[in-house]
Amino acid sequence: MKSFDGRVVVDVDDLILGSNPVEGLIGPNGAGKTTLMRMIMHSVRLDQGTVTFHPGGGSSSVVISSLPAHAMASLGVVKTNQVIQDFEKLTIWDSLLLAAARGRDERPFRIFAEKRVWAQNTAEIKRYLDEFPFASPYGFAKSAGEKKLLDILRCLLLRPKILLLDEPTAGLPADVRDRVMALVRQKAVDEYVSVVIVEHDLNVIWALSDYVHFMAEGSVVLQGDPAWIREHETVVEKYLGKGHVGR
Amino acid sequence: MSLDWLSAFLIYALFTVAGTVGMAQFLHLQMGLAGIGNFGIVGFFGLGMYTYGVFIRRIPWPDAMGDILPFVISMLAAVVVTALAGMLIGWFISDLDGDGVLVGTLGFATVVYSLALSEKRWTGGAEGMAVTDPVGFGTKGNSLFWLGLMLLLVVAATYYVARVHRSPYGRLLVAIGQNEPLARSLGKPTFGIKLSLFAIGSAGMGLIGAIFAVMNHFIRPTEIGIEVTLAVMVGLVLGGSARVWGAVVGVLLTAGLFDIVVQIYLPLPDSWYQITLPVVREMVFGAMLILVLLWRPLGVLGDMRRDKLVARLGRG
Repeated sequence: MKSFDGRVVVDVDDLILGSNPVEGLIGPNGAGKTTLMRMIMHSVRLDQGTVTFHPGGGSSSVVISSLPAHAMASLGVVKTNQVIQDFEKLTIWDSLLLAAARGRDERPFRIFAEKRVWAQNTAEIKRYLDEFPFASPYGFAKSAGEKKLLDILRCLLLRPKILLLDEPTAGLPADVRDRVMALVRQKAVDEYVSVVIVEHDLNVIWALSDYVHFMAEGSVVLQGDPAWIREHETVVEKYLGKGHVGR
Repeated sequence: MSLDWLSAFLIYALFTVAGTVGMAQFLHLQMGLAGIGNFGIVGFFGLGMYTYGVFIRRIPWPDAMGDILPFVISMLAAVVVTALAGMLIGWFISDLDGDGVLVGTLGFATVVYSLALSEKRWTGGAEGMAVTDPVGFGTKGNSLFWLGLMLLLVVAATYYVARVHRSPYGRLLVAIGQNEPLARSLGKPTFGIKLSLFAIGSAGMGLIGAIFAVMNHFIRPTEIGIEVTLAVMVGLVLGGSARVWGAVVGVLLTAGLFDIVVQIYLPLPDSWYQITLPVVREMVFGAMLILVLLWRPLGVLGDMRRDKLVARLGRG
């Protein structure tokens, strides 16, 4: 549960995310979708309750709501940013290498580790850059679209187990968006990454997700498969409207 | 080889300039890369100086240990104490914004200065305390020895900085300086990295302070005034705080020009040296800082060029 100045913004009793390869989280503006994501990522503190991560594969579950923010990524819990975030003075390659580099190569006296970091990660980064060409990969991300794409690629290089995408398509050109979504789908199916997408472009949700959570006024109101949610009375009334193009 | 042209005055001026370059290199890592404006440089410098002094003077070293061993232990103590102080200060300021960091670090330097004045039993108060030179190469030989050691330290610091620029650690420092929450979300332990950055920078400044103590033969509170911080800060900003050679170029253009060229080679009246020149020095440095910030805010060398660096690394 989370409240700001006494006003309850998110109040979720019991929610399990990530049981399906790709899940959608939708709801009207102010429903608390982004706050819920931030609660999971620990960038806002919980007032009550816990968040537990079950890595699967025999590993024991971890209560992540008591971990520091930087510990999440190494567990495989990763979120892309809704608002564009970037390192202005780092180039695109820098940014991707930063995401891929491991902690022990980044210690103050590892001053000869650069070659190893390049050698270990160049192939993977090149694969992404071939699929999503930037104007100047050794230079800086210039447009909003490039920065958004870079944000998503950084998250993929962290090799997530659960990937939260907060409005991933905002600012991306249509063709790039489709390729990003195809890649995300492929990661979910082939590499067993649990993907949760928060998105206003409902065509993406209907096309991609296997399961949808519908949020309104701070709680998860409905859960079910996309086709059912799409036709549900409550969703139509509270969010889509009768003549919504996304239906 | 004749060393007559190296007057005691020139040796000391070179020594001061070298020490300033060294401290500016450590500041460069903190301010130029990680974006933490440390205004407490003289605090760490002074703490190193006084830790060395207190250890070498107040501990009853047995004669059997000779001169060198107590010297080495006291130097190590200066490094360890300043590193710990750096971690403590780094912890206090880790969540503050630029203004908070400025006030916090300035405050630390003031605390060190006040302690040096007030704790007479340990520091000798305003009169200070004398420290002996552990090596015996004669007066000029000793000065040259410490100048050489300082130059070695500066070369090592510059080499370290240059390597950091092309290492994953340097990339992480820049990332922290640009967007710390984003770096944290990529799994980087930014708090720990900032603590170790402060520990290293402070230890370096403390070591330089301790060597100053030996070179001066005397430790006084007047040695640890704000002008030490100013000289380092102005030099680095003028040269370019984001560049490897910014500290070297900037300090040579400020302290180097003024302390060596103006004070030694210009025919100035003798009466100026005591009072006029130090004041003129501060004025000139202040004016230079204003001019640089007005016309070339990133310093003479400009901003870091990671695009060129990465292209070179990427193409092998």
